[in-house]
Amino acid sequence: MTAVAPPRDAEVRWDGRVHSYRPQEDWRARLSPSLVLHDEADGELDPITFEVIRHRLWTINLAHGDTVTRISGSPVFQSLDFNMCILTEDGEYVMNAPFVQFLNAGAGLGARFIMERYGAEPGIEEGDVFVGNDPWVCAVHEMDVMFACPVFADGKLFAWTANAGHQYDLGGAVPGGWPQNAEDVFSDPTVFRPFKIVERGRMRADLEAMYLRQSRFPEMVALDMRAQISGCRYAAEQIQELCAQFGAATVKAAMRRILDGSQRALQEKLRRIPDGTWSEARYVDERLPGDRSTYRTQVNVTKRGDRLIFDNDGTEEQMIGPLGITFASFSGSALTPLSITMLPEQLFAVGGANRQVDLEPTPGRLTCVDHPAAVGAGVLNVIGHIAAVQTCVNRMLACDPELSEGIVAASPDFPVAVISGRDEDGRYYGQAVLDHFAMGLGARSHRDGVDTGGAAWSPLTFLLNVEAVEQFYPLVYLYRRELEDSGGAGRWRGGVGLAYAWMAYRAESMSLTCFGGGMATSAFGAEGVMGGYPSPSAHVHVLRETNVKKLLAAGRVPTQISDMQAAEAFSRPSKANTLPLGPDDVVEATVSGGGGYADPLERDPAHVARDVANGHASRTAAEAVYGVVLDDADGQPDAARTAARRRELRAERATWPLARDVLGPALGSGSAAGPAPDAAVAPATGEPPRAVHEALVARDEGAERVLSCRHCDAVLCGVGGDFKRHLRLHEGPVAELPGAKADAADFIDHPIVLRRYCCPGCFTLLSTEVARSGDAPFADMRLVSA
Amino acid sequence: MSLVLGIDIGGTFTDCIALTGEGDVRMGKSLSTPPDFDTGFIDAIGAVAASRDMDASAALAETTQILHGCTVGSNALVEHRTAKVALLTSRGHRDSLFTMQAGRRLRALGAEAIAHVAAHVKPEPLVPRSLVRELDERVAADGRVLAPLDEQQVREVVAELLADGVEAFAVSLLWSVANDAHEQTVARVIRELAPDAYLSVASQVVARTGEYERTVATVVNSLIGPEMDRYLSQLEDRCQAHGYAGTISIMTCSGGLVSTDEARALPVLTIGSGPVAGLIGARRLAATAAGHQASRAPVRTTNVITADMGGTTLDVGVVHEGVPISRVTSWYDQYEYFVPTLDVRSIGAGGGSIVQLDETSGTLRVGPRSAGSRPGPVCYSRGGTEPTITDADLVAGFLNPDYFLGGKMALDLDGATRAFAALGEPLGLSALETASAALRIVDNQMADAIRLVSVNQGFDPRAFTLYPCGGGGALHAAAIAAELGIPSISVPLSGLASGWSAFGVAGAEPLVVQELARPMREPFDPAVFTARFAELEAAALARLAGQGIAREDAVLTRHADVRYALQVNEVEVLAPSGDYDDASVRELLERFETEYARRYGEDSRYADAGFAVIGLRVRGRGAARELPLSAAQPDGPAPTPEPKGHRDVSFHRRGQGAEPVAVYDAAVIHPETVLRGPAIVELPGTSIVVPHDAVLRFDALGSAHITLAGA
Repeated sequence: MTAVAPPRDAEVRWDGRVHSYRPQEDWRARLSPSLVLHDEADGELDPITFEVIRHRLWTINLAHGDTVTRISGSPVFQSLDFNMCILTEDGEYVMNAPFVQFLNAGAGLGARFIMERYGAEPGIEEGDVFVGNDPWVCAVHEMDVMFACPVFADGKLFAWTANAGHQYDLGGAVPGGWPQNAEDVFSDPTVFRPFKIVERGRMRADLEAMYLRQSRFPEMVALDMRAQISGCRYAAEQIQELCAQFGAATVKAAMRRILDGSQRALQEKLRRIPDGTWSEARYVDERLPGDRSTYRTQVNVTKRGDRLIFDNDGTEEQMIGPLGITFASFSGSALTPLSITMLPEQLFAVGGANRQVDLEPTPGRLTCVDHPAAVGAGVLNVIGHIAAVQTCVNRMLACDPELSEGIVAASPDFPVAVISGRDEDGRYYGQAVLDHFAMGLGARSHRDGVDTGGAAWSPLTFLLNVEAVEQFYPLVYLYRRELEDSGGAGRWRGGVGLAYAWMAYRAESMSLTCFGGGMATSAFGAEGVMGGYPSPSAHVHVLRETNVKKLLAAGRVPTQISDMQAAEAFSRPSKANTLPLGPDDVVEATVSGGGGYADPLERDPAHVARDVANGHASRTAAEAVYGVVLDDADGQPDAARTAARRRELRAERATWPLARDVLGPALGSGSAAGPAPDAAVAPATGEPPRAVHEALVARDEGAERVLSCRHCDAVLCGVGGDFKRHLRLHEGPVAELPGAKADAADFIDHPIVLRRYCCPGCFTLLSTEVARSGDAPFADMRLVSA
Repeated sequence: MSLVLGIDIGGTFTDCIALTGEGDVRMGKSLSTPPDFDTGFIDAIGAVAASRDMDASAALAETTQILHGCTVGSNALVEHRTAKVALLTSRGHRDSLFTMQAGRRLRALGAEAIAHVAAHVKPEPLVPRSLVRELDERVAADGRVLAPLDEQQVREVVAELLADGVEAFAVSLLWSVANDAHEQTVARVIRELAPDAYLSVASQVVARTGEYERTVATVVNSLIGPEMDRYLSQLEDRCQAHGYAGTISIMTCSGGLVSTDEARALPVLTIGSGPVAGLIGARRLAATAAGHQASRAPVRTTNVITADMGGTTLDVGVVHEGVPISRVTSWYDQYEYFVPTLDVRSIGAGGGSIVQLDETSGTLRVGPRSAGSRPGPVCYSRGGTEPTITDADLVAGFLNPDYFLGGKMALDLDGATRAFAALGEPLGLSALETASAALRIVDNQMADAIRLVSVNQGFDPRAFTLYPCGGGGALHAAAIAAELGIPSISVPLSGLASGWSAFGVAGAEPLVVQELARPMREPFDPAVFTARFAELEAAALARLAGQGIAREDAVLTRHADVRYALQVNEVEVLAPSGDYDDASVRELLERFETEYARRYGEDSRYADAGFAVIGLRVRGRGAARELPLSAAQPDGPAPTPEPKGHRDVSFHRRGQGAEPVAVYDAAVIHPETVLRGPAIVELPGTSIVVPHDAVLRFDALGSAHITLAGA
C-alpha cells in the first residue's frame, strides 16, 4: 500500500504529477507569449447565421466520427467505444457526440495542459496533432487515448478538435489494458504524457515507432491511431473552411453563443430547484483478485443558487489495486448525467453548463486517485460513479415537476468477460464480450426503462449480432435472452438486461478473465430512486464439464443453466484472474437492468401481468415485491387477492422499526422528528407546499417548515432534515432482491444489506440503498430551505 | 402506336409517364387511393391518356409494357394493415427481435431524439412475443449442424400457430446463410400443413450474415406479403379487364425491375423503391444525355448527386462513375433490416418542414417537425397555421402564388406572410426577412446533410453534378450547390420533375440480385469461387427466365464483399468473370485494395491483417430498354426569350432585400437559349431558380443545365 500512498502536501498542487492536472484560475497567465489565442468574437452575430454555423459544427463533429470509424475499421470503434468533440481555443466543449459520454472528459483538460506546458516548447502550430493517455491529465484510463488537434485562424489558435477512443493494446501486465492484478500504475498499459505526434502536418516517425513499440498489436494500433489523427485533422480543416466562409470572429461568436446558451439553460433550470445537497454512496468490490472486501465511495451534489458543487466526502482513501478513478473521470462522471437528464436539448454540448459546475473532490481518495495508483482496470468504476451522480441528480430533479420528467434511474454496473486464446489454426484472439451494452435503461418518472435499451451514458452503443461475434471468435452462443427480474422493481421498473451463454468452438484454447465494476457480481446493478428497487446482481458463471454436447447432439438446446448438468459450477469474482476453459465448459454471463422508480406496490397490476407474460418479471417477484397475484388460468391480475396481498405487505412494513432507532438520530432535524442535534428548526415560510421528492412535500406545519408525506400527510422532519432517519427501515440480505444472481457473502466478508425505507404513516417506500451492514447511511437529501 | 407506361404510386400522388416509340413523353397525375391503390393507378393512366384524347382502356390496349413502382408495402406497414405473422427461430435466440441491438436501433433517429434519453422507447414489436416460437436446432458459423432439427417438433409448433389463426410465417434460424437445410425443412413442413399461408424463409429473403437484420427483413416480408399479393392480383385483374395483355414489372429498391411473381415472393424489395427510381432515372438520363449528339450541355456523365425534395423529406442519392452507390440495410422505424438497396438517404427537411422560434437560443429552427401535406403549409389553406419552407419559398418570391401546380392551386401569400411576420417579430425581423432566414437555414441543413453523405462514402461533392427533383428540388438546388461548391446543376427533363420517380421506373431495367454469405479467409481456394459464382449465376438466370428474359439477353455481373481480417469495413467490388485461378483471386483483392483506399484513404489499408471474403453476389440484368427521348431540332438561331413578367425575389445568399427578377415560362424556352441569372423559369410542377451570374441552358431533351458562377 505504501507504493501508492500520496505525499501529504500542505497544499494540494493540481499539476498532473501526483495529483491530477487541473487548470488553475490563472492558467491563461502562464501561457507562452508565443501562443496567441483567437478570442475575438463578432458581437453582431445574427441569429440566423448562428443557426447555420451551429448546424455546420454539429455536422463537422459527426463527420469527424465517421472518419474515425471508416479509417480504423476496428470492431471496437465500430461499436462506438469512442467520442469526439470540438473545443474553443481555451478548451470549452462546443460540440460533443452521442457516443460514450465520459470519454471526452479528458479533452478539455488535455488542451489546457498542452497550452500551459508546450506553448513555447515544442510549440503549438498549425498542422500539429497531440496524443496522450495520462489519466492524471487527459484520459479516463490509459486505453482511451486522446488525440487533439489545434485549429488556427488568422494565425491564432482558434479552436481544438479532439477525440478519445479505446485502442486495442498498449502494453501492461495483461493484454487488452484491464490488468486486474495491477498493484499500481506501473503494471497498467504504458502511460503517455501528451506529446506532439504530428508536427506541422507530418507524422513524427520516431515518436510513432516509440508509441507502437508498447503494443502487443502494433499494426492494429497503427490503424486506430491514423484513424483518430485523420478524424481530428479533418474536423480542423472543416472548421478552417467555416472560418474562411464566415470570418473567424463570426464563427467564434457562434461558439460563444452555444456555450452561453448551454450555460443559461443550466442556470435557469437550477434556479427552479431549492438549495440543498443530494448524496449517494456506492461500494466497489475487491481491490485485487482474492480480496474479499468492498470499499465505500460517496458523491455529494450541492446546489447553491445557479451553481452545482460536486465533492467526494465520505469516500475511502485510495489503496493498492485498480479500484480508483482519476480527476478526469470524476469530471466526466459529473457532466454526463447533467447532459442526459437536464440538458438533452443541448445535444451533449456541455461546455457552457460546465461553467456552472465546481468540482471539489479531495484527492487521494478512490474517486480522485493520485499517481501512481493503478487505473487501467478501474474504468468500470467510472460507470458506477456516473450511476451515483445520476442518482443524486435524479433526486435533485424531483424538486421540480417539469425537471422531474428528465429523471432516468441509473444504468447498471456490469461484469465484463474477456476471452482469449488461440483458434484451431493457432491464431491468437482476445476480446471482451460486449453483450453488456444491451443493459436495461433505468426507469423514468413517467414510464418504464427500456428493456435491453442500452446505456444512458452512451445512447448509440450497441449489441453485436451473435453471428458477428461467432464469425470473429471461436465460440458458440447457446442462448442470449432478455433476463427476467433483472430490472429494478418500482412503480415504473427498470428495463431488463440480458443473459447469454457460450462455449468454445473450434478453439485450440480459451481462457476467461473477468472484471466487474462496483458491486455488480456481489450485490446489485443500478440504484433505484424515490423508493424504487435497485436492479439485482449479475454474474459470470462457469459450468465445468457439462453435458451440453450430448444435449445438442440429441437435439436439445439449453436456454438456462438448469437445463445442463455440470461437474462443477461457480461464479467468478469481480476481479478474476485468467481461468482456462475446457471444451465442455459453458459460461453464462448476465447484465442487469436499470434501477426502478418509486414504490413497486404502486405499480399498475396490469403492467405486472404483462411483465410476467413477457418473461420480464417472475410470478415470485409479482407477489413478493409488487403484491400482485395473478390468476393461474389467464395470467391476469386477481383484483381481490392483489388488494389483500398489498395490504399484507404494507402491514409487514408497519412492523419495521424507525430508522433513527436503528441507526441513531445523528442527522435528525426539527422538533416533529425528535431531537435535532445538528440542525435548527426551520421556521415556517408562508410559501405554498412544494414537492421535493416523488412522495414528499416541503410545507408549513404551524410555525415550522417541514417535510411531509404527500400520500398521508405525515410529518417526517424539519425541511432541512435527513428524512431517511425518520422513516421505517428494513434491513435484509441484498440477495433477497428478486433476480439476484449472487450471494454477497460468497465474495465479500462483511455482510451487505439492502435497506428499504418507508413512510411511517402510510408505509409507502421512499428510499432504498445497498450498504455494508453497520455503515452509517448518507442523507439522500439535505435541503437548505424549500 | 405502342406505349410504355411507368407508374409510380407515392403516398399522396400516383404519377404515370407514357413513352411512345417515337420519343414522346407525357405525364399524368392522380391522387393515390389507399388502401385500394389500383384505383389511383388506373386514374393516373386515365390522366395521361386524356392528354392524347383517349381513355385508360384505349391507352392500355396500346400498351406493351407496364413498369410500376408502388408504396403498397410501406403503406401497409405504416398503417398496420399487416398479416398475423408467426416467427420461427432458433431455440435460445427468440429475443433477437426484441433486443433490437440495444442502442443501435436509435441510429436512424435525429440528434434530438437520440439525446433525449428520458423519452427513449422501443416501438411495438413487429411480432408479438406469443407468436415468436423457438425450435430446437443449431447450425454453427461453419455450417456444421451442432443440434439437429426435430421435424416432429416443427409440426407441433406450426399446428399450434395455425390453430392460433396465424396467416403468414417467417422462418429465420441462426447461420442459415451457412447451411439452410434446417430452414428448408421448416419451410417444407409449413407448406405441407398450410399450403395457403404466406411464407418467408430468411436465407431466401436475404443471404447476409447478421441474424437480427436478416430476421427483421424476413418478418417485414411476411408482414406485407399477403397485402402485396392481394394488391398485385387486383391490379392484374384490373389491367386485364381494361384489355391489357402484357406483363407488369415491379420496381425494387435494388434499382431494377422484377416480375410480379418475384414481387409477391419478396415484397420487402419494393419498400423505398420510389426514391431509388429517382436515382435510376437521373443516372439513365445522365448517360443518355452524354451520348446525345444534340446535347451541348456540360453534363458530367458519371458523378451525380440527386436531391429529391418533397413534402416531408429530402432524399439524397449518389452515382459515382456511373454506378449508383448501394448499401446493405434499410430502416423501418427503429428496425434495421438487410435489403440490397441503392443508398438513398432521407433527411427530415422538405417543403412541409415547420419553421419555429427556439426560445432558449433566440434563433429560428427548421424541422424536424413537418406539416406534411395535411394540414400542410399555411399557404395551402388546409388548416396549417405554422409556417413551413414552402411558405418561405412563396414569401421570398421563389414560388408564384398564381402558378402552383400550373395554376391549379392558388397559394395564400397573405396568410404565409402573416405567419412569418408573427414568427419573426420577437427577433425583430420582417416577414420577408424571416422567410429568407428560414430558407438560409434549410438550404444549409440540406447542404450539411449532403456533406455527411459524401464524407461517409469518401466523395468530394465538388466533383459531382447536382440533379434536383421533386417539387422543391429545383427551387433550392442553386443555393445548396453553391454552399457545397458543386459547379453545375441539371434539372432532369424539367417538365417531369414532379413525377420523376415514374420516369425512373420507366427507365429501369430488369434486375435480380442473388447473394451468398459464406465467409472465407485466406488462403482462398479459387475453385470455391468458381463453384459458388456458377451456383449464383444459375439461380439469377432462373429468376430472370421467370421474368421472360432469355439467357442470351441476360447480363450478369459478379461482386464480392471483401474486408481486411479483423476489420469491419466491408467493400463490395466487381469480381472477375470466368473460372477462377490464383490470378483471378489476386485481381479481386487488388480491386478491393484500390477501392478501400479510395473510400477510406491510402493510410487505412491493412493488408498485414490478411483478407476475408464475406459474401458473393451476382446481379442479373435484362437488356436495357431503349429509352427514346425526342430531341427537339433547333430551327434557326434561338430567339431571345421574353419573360412573362417580373417578381420581387429575395436571395438569401445575396444578403439583400427583394429585387425584381425576370420570370419565364418554360414553354417559351428554346433548346439553344442561354439565360443569365437572376431568373426564375416556371414549369407546372416546379420552378427553376437561376441565381445571379449563373447560366442556364435547356438541352434538346428538355433538361435544364445551370452552370454556377465561378464554376
